[in-house]
Formats: sequence, structure tokens, C-alpha cells
Amino acid sequence: MMTDNKLSIKKKIFNWLEERFEIQELIDFAHKKSVPKFRETIWYYFGGIALLLFVVQVITGILLLMYYKGTEDSAFESVQFISTKINFGWLIRSVHSWSANLMVLAVIIHMFSVYFLKAFRKPRELTWYTGILLLFISLAFGFSGYLLPWNELAFFATKVGTDISGEVPLIGEFILKLLRGGEDVTGATLSRFFGMHVAIFPGIFIVLLTLHLLFIQRQGIAEPEEWKTMPKEERETIPFFPNFALRELLIWLIVINILAILAVFFPWELGVKADPFAPAPQGIKPEWYFLGMFQIFKFLPAQVLFINGELFGIMVFGLAGFLWILVPFWDSKSSSGRKNRILNYAGIFIIIFFMIFTTLGFILD
Amino acid sequence: MKLIKLFTPMFVVLLSSILFGQSEKVNDECANCHSQLGDELQKPADLYQNDLHSSLGFSCAVCHGGESKSDDMDVSMNKSKGFIGVPKRSIRYEVCIKCHADDKKMHQYGFKKSSNQYEKLKTSVHFRPSANNQGPIADCITCHGVHNIVRVTSPASPVYPTKIVNLCGSCHSNASYMKNYNPALPVDQVTKYRTSTHGIKNSKGDAVVAQCASCHGSHEIKKVNDSKSLVYPTNIPKVCSECHSDKNKMAVYKIPTDQYDSYIQSAHGIALLEKGDVSAPTCNDCHGNHGAVPPGVESISKVCGSCHSLNMELFEKSVHKKAFDDAKIPECETCHSNHKILPVSDDLIGVESNSTCVKCHESNDKGFAVAKHMRGKIEKLKANQIVAEKLLKEAAQKGMDVSDASFSLKDVRQKLIETRTTIHSFDQEKFDEVIKQGFEITKEAKTTGTQAIDNYYFRRKGLALSTLLVTLLVAGLYLYIKKIEKKRINQ
Repeated sequence: MMTDNKLSIKKKIFNWLEERFEIQELIDFAHKKSVPKFRETIWYYFGGIALLLFVVQVITGILLLMYYKGTEDSAFESVQFISTKINFGWLIRSVHSWSANLMVLAVIIHMFSVYFLKAFRKPRELTWYTGILLLFISLAFGFSGYLLPWNELAFFATKVGTDISGEVPLIGEFILKLLRGGEDVTGATLSRFFGMHVAIFPGIFIVLLTLHLLFIQRQGIAEPEEWKTMPKEERETIPFFPNFALRELLIWLIVINILAILAVFFPWELGVKADPFAPAPQGIKPEWYFLGMFQIFKFLPAQVLFINGELFGIMVFGLAGFLWILVPFWDSKSSSGRKNRILNYAGIFIIIFFMIFTTLGFILD
Repeated sequence: MKLIKLFTPMFVVLLSSILFGQSEKVNDECANCHSQLGDELQKPADLYQNDLHSSLGFSCAVCHGGESKSDDMDVSMNKSKGFIGVPKRSIRYEVCIKCHADDKKMHQYGFKKSSNQYEKLKTSVHFRPSANNQGPIADCITCHGVHNIVRVTSPASPVYPTKIVNLCGSCHSNASYMKNYNPALPVDQVTKYRTSTHGIKNSKGDAVVAQCASCHGSHEIKKVNDSKSLVYPTNIPKVCSECHSDKNKMAVYKIPTDQYDSYIQSAHGIALLEKGDVSAPTCNDCHGNHGAVPPGVESISKVCGSCHSLNMELFEKSVHKKAFDDAKIPECETCHSNHKILPVSDDLIGVESNSTCVKCHESNDKGFAVAKHMRGKIEKLKANQIVAEKLLKEAAQKGMDVSDASFSLKDVRQKLIETRTTIHSFDQEKFDEVIKQGFEITKEAKTTGTQAIDNYYFRRKGLALSTLLVTLLVAGLYLYIKKIEKKRINQ
């Protein structure tokens, strides 16, 4: 009797929604969608993980915004207030910081998985480009958010980071002033970083993310390369709904658990308030995702082939980044769907290269 | 051997007198002529007869140039013979340093010491340009005189210890003259000096006691705020000890010689000499400088109170003031000593054998009970401070933010200082009032520390619970996925 009642309530709610939104159509559509099931399926979850962490960022970011004050005089104190006086403020701030880092990590893993699975090939070039832009904006989120507590480490790391951007030929000076809001890192820099972090970047991110998801929705999830030569009956898939969605949910729950453990056991430190007149402390380092690049810049000599060392670094990284972005164009074997081992080697080389320099960045002063 | 040692100086003196006696007999036509000119032109010739340089055979021409052997004025005062007449004020010291800055020449006349007077003078404040720009403020002649110069060891010398005070005072006691150089500089040094023990003895002809040059130096005198000055705070203890640590010198005056050794071990001496804190008191801060006297029993708290003003104020209103005065016991010195004032420890107060209170108080009197109470409270506050610090440290190590409480806890140190100052009132009520504030701070810090640690465990428990719930959800979901996938495969 109870079960009948429950069923009838469930049915009633469904009918109520169906009458207004025709949700049966959506359910049928979701049931029809499938995801390839093969040994690399695990990598398909990282896009979803990045999405979850972005949602966590938005929620915790909004909560922080209720108390954060983005001015030189009160930024540090407001973060201190959030961490010490607000109920669960420390947890929200810590979750925000950790999920930002995990999100960048998830986006990078997602990008490399798409690269190695050749999911960027025709017809998914635009999905790749929007994804690359989303990675850049995630990094920009990290860079701008790092300064917001206005502590010593963040202040000087921002100074070093923006200094490097000033070395870009022709437009370096302009970029430097645009980022800093003047010659030096000041309260003006904090204000514009705050503005970019909470308004401009989220706006752009949402638009790009919508496009990215629309493209996936329209074109379906990329299938593995070997499926092109495989008989249809041997291709194994799982329904997107509910099977893949529930698996994704399971991984989200694990990620949430990891995030909670990190936030509680390793609460994000606040450090000491930035003093623009104090000498830079030793061992200034950027966030881990910029550390490899930062370490390479440190190793570069002052002059390389009659070019300023930093400028040389920017040119090499710029060229490498440009080639990376344009991979759907120059991957000549994409049209024929053949294997391209050079692409794999290049990808592995880049991962090892950055892992070595990031490790060196952590170890060396 | 002893005979050789004894007769060598006698022989040198004899030989010198023979040599210089012969020189004296050299016919100096300048002196001959000037001694007959009368008035101002004769005066130098008359004075020079008793001058040390004259006795050493120096003719007028040595300083003034010209040909002293000729009685013809055109020859003797001829510029071609180097005659310069009266040397210009601005460069007259150059005449002196021709010999006095030359070790070789001076050694010929038996001066064994280095002839570095000019080198020292150049660094002196006196060698700066005078207000009228007529040369240095003071040069050789200003102090040593001219034409009647005698050895500095001669009581007739203007720089002899019993005369030098008036010599220095001729400028330094002249307000209208001194204001040309430093209007803020006092001009009462000589007056004060005459009231000091040094000054009184000096006036009575004691050439051993300190006079201006004993402390300020002679040729190398610097401004008192110059760190190289002999009377710069960090140099004063050494300068005073030059005499006051000299047992032979002090034996005459029957005063002890351990002041310097005691002072360098004292809190004041360590602060000044080891830490370079020039605000720490040195000899003259307690004894005075020009008017130096040992502080009397009745005035010692005023001397100490010039810096430790709160302690003095409290002491003067305390029951001890009258008791000490009646018993003619020196005030601060009784508990803290004089030259060897060691860094204060809480052991001074209380009823332990090493405390100062039990020197007078016995177990059945009120003072004994107050001392016991005060010491007990101080120890309790210190113990509370340690407990609070440990709690906050533990909380911080657990990653909790207790920076505000840690900062506030630093005030306990200040409260302990205030409490220790209040001891000088010897009033239990006043003491309790101050120390109570310290207890309140430690109580608050302990509460914050305990709460932070509790909060830490609450977070852990909360995390454990939420992790468990999520893990159960994950397990349930996993089983459900397995179930629906099995169902799908079967279909």
C-alpha cells in the first residue's frame, strides 16, 4: 500500500513535469546516447571532474565573496577574518583553494587524454580550441586568485609573473601595465585582478564551457581510433544515462572526499600581509602549474644567440604553445585516421619535460 | 750595570747643557735689538729669555725667519733671508709643526715619544675654522702660549693640571664667545667642576685628580657626541677607570678600585658596552660629569629615579621610604647594589634564602607575608603564561589560526614588567590590581587555545563522519551500477 502510494506520488510528479516540460523526450534522448567502453574509458571522466570542480569553485567563490574585500588595505584582513571568525570560513576558503588546484590538474589531464586519444581530430577541432581556451582561463583564474589574499608570497609571485609578461616583444610593456594597472604591483593591480577573477573570467568561462558542452552534445563523445577498423558488433558501449552518469557521479563523490580530506588536513595558509616596501623574501615561487615554466626561465642564460634570455624563453614557449594549439591542423594523418606516433612521442616528451622542471622548481631554491 | 743606568741620564743632561749652553751664547742680534726697543716690541724679547726654546738655543729666526746674527736691520729682517715677521694667525701653527711634527728633530732634543700632536690636532674640534675665519679655533699658541713656553710638566705651564681648568675656562666659560660655535653648549663646566671632588682637590694644588684633559684628552679633543670622543658614553667607563682602577693613584684617596670591574658585569654595563645601548647609564649618569660627586644615601633614589622614575615614585610613597631614611640605609642600593647592578630576577622578591626581603623581614611580620604573596603570584602568572603558550603552540601546530590570541598573550610580558615595577610600592592591594590584568590575559589565551584544539578535533570528527557517509554512498552507488549493468547485459 505504501509502495503504491510512493509510486503514485512519483508518477504524479513525473506527470506534472511531463505536462509542462515534456521531459520524457529528454529521457529518451539521454537513453539513446552512449559512451564507448574500452581500456581507456577512464580518461573520459576527467572532463566531468573538471566540471564538478568548477561548480565547487563557483559555489565556494560566491560564499567567499560575501566577506572578501578587494582593496589593498583590507584584502588580507578580510581573508583572515573569513579564516578565523566566520563559521566554516576556513573550510570554504580551503576548499576553494584546493579545488582550484585540482581543477587545473583535471583540465590538464583532460587535455592530454584528448591529445593522446586523438579526440581533437576532425570533426572535433572546435571542441579542442574551446577546451584550450578553457585551460588558459583556468590558469588565469589561478593567477588572478593567487594575489587576492594580498599576502607576501602572492604579492612577489605576481610581481615576478607580470615581469615575465613584460618581456613579450612589442606588446610586453602594454600587457604589463594592463595587468598591473600601472608600473608596479599595487592596490590597482589587486582591484583589477579581483574584477577579472569574479566577473570577466567567469563570464568568458561560462560562454566557452557552454559551447564546449554543446559541441560534445552535438557530435557525441569521440570514439577510439581503432574502432574505425573494428566491426560494429565488436564495439562495446555503455548508455550515457544512467550508467555512465552514475559512474561519473561515483567518481565525483570520491573527488569530493579527497577535496574534504585535503582541505581539513592541509588548510591553505594565509602567511603574512604583503608589504610593497619590504625586500622580496627568498624562495618566491608561483603556483605549481607555472613552476616548471618559471624554473626553465631561471635556468635560461642572460643571452641566448644574441637574444635576451627571457625573450628567448617566451619565443620558444610561444611557438611550442602555438603548435600545440594548432595540432588539429598540422596532424597530417588526421584525415586518413592513421596512427601518428610522433604526436605521442611529442606529448610524452612534454609531460616528462614539465614534470622534471616542476620537480626541480620544488626542490631548488 | 746599575751605575751605568744611573749615570746615563745625568750624562745626557750634562752634555745637553754644555751643547745648549754654548748655543745660548750665540749672539742673537734680534733679541739684543728688541730688548732695547721698549713697549710691545721689547716684550717678546724679555719673555723669551725664560722660554724653553731659548734655553735649547733656538734663535728668534727659527720661528720668524731672517738673519739673527746680523745687527743690520736690512740684513736681519730681509725677506730674501726668509724673514716673515709675526706669522699669520691662520698658519702660525706651521711654525711649531716644523719641529714638533718631526720625530727625528724632536728625538735630537731628548723627546722619545711620537711627535703626533699635529696629527691629533687635525682631527680635533678645535682645529675647525674659527668664527672669524682667521685660522683654527685653537692652535698650539692658544694653549701653550708664546715666547714664554715652558715644559708641560712645569707648574708654570698653562696646560699644567692645576692651571688647565682656567685655560679651558677662558673660552668655555665665556658665553658670548661660545655662542659663536654652539649656542646650546653650557658654559658652566668650570663652575660645576669647582664644586666637584675633583675640582676642590685641584684647586688645592692636587695635580693628580681629574681635570679637563684627563677626560676630554688634549690635542685630539672631539665633540662629546662623536663616538671617538673619550667622553662618548661607551668610552667613559674606560676613561674613568684609567684613574679609578689604579690602586697606586687611589691609595692616596683611600677609595676602592673595583668599580669598573663591577660595572662591566652589571646590567647597565652589559647594555652599554656589549649591546651598544648608549641610553644605558654610564659613570657620569649617576655621579655627574663636571660636578662629579658620589651620590649620598638620601639622594640615591633620585639618581636612579632619573631613569627608573616609576619605581622611584612608588618607592617614595611606600612604607620603606621612611624606614630606610630613619635607618640611614641607602634606598635602591640596598636591594640592587650600586656598581654591580645585576639583571633583576624574581629571586630578589620573596622569602627564599636568596631573596633580599629576608635580610630585614622575619617570618612573623607583615612584610614577610606580603613578600611571600607577591612572589607566589608572580610565579603563578609565569606558570599560567607557559601553559597558555603551550596550548596556543599546540593549536598552531595543528593548523589552527590562533595568531590573535598569541599576539594578545605577548601583553603578559608587559604586565609582568608592570607588576615587578609595582613591587616598589610594597603595597599588596596595588600589586594585586596590576597582576590581575595579567591573569585575565592568560585565562583568555588558555580558553582560546583550548577551544582551538577542541575545534581541531571537531573538524577531524566532522571530516571522518562526512567521509564515512560519502564512502557509504560510493559503495552503494557502486553496487547499484553493478546491478544495473548486470541487468543490461542480461537483457
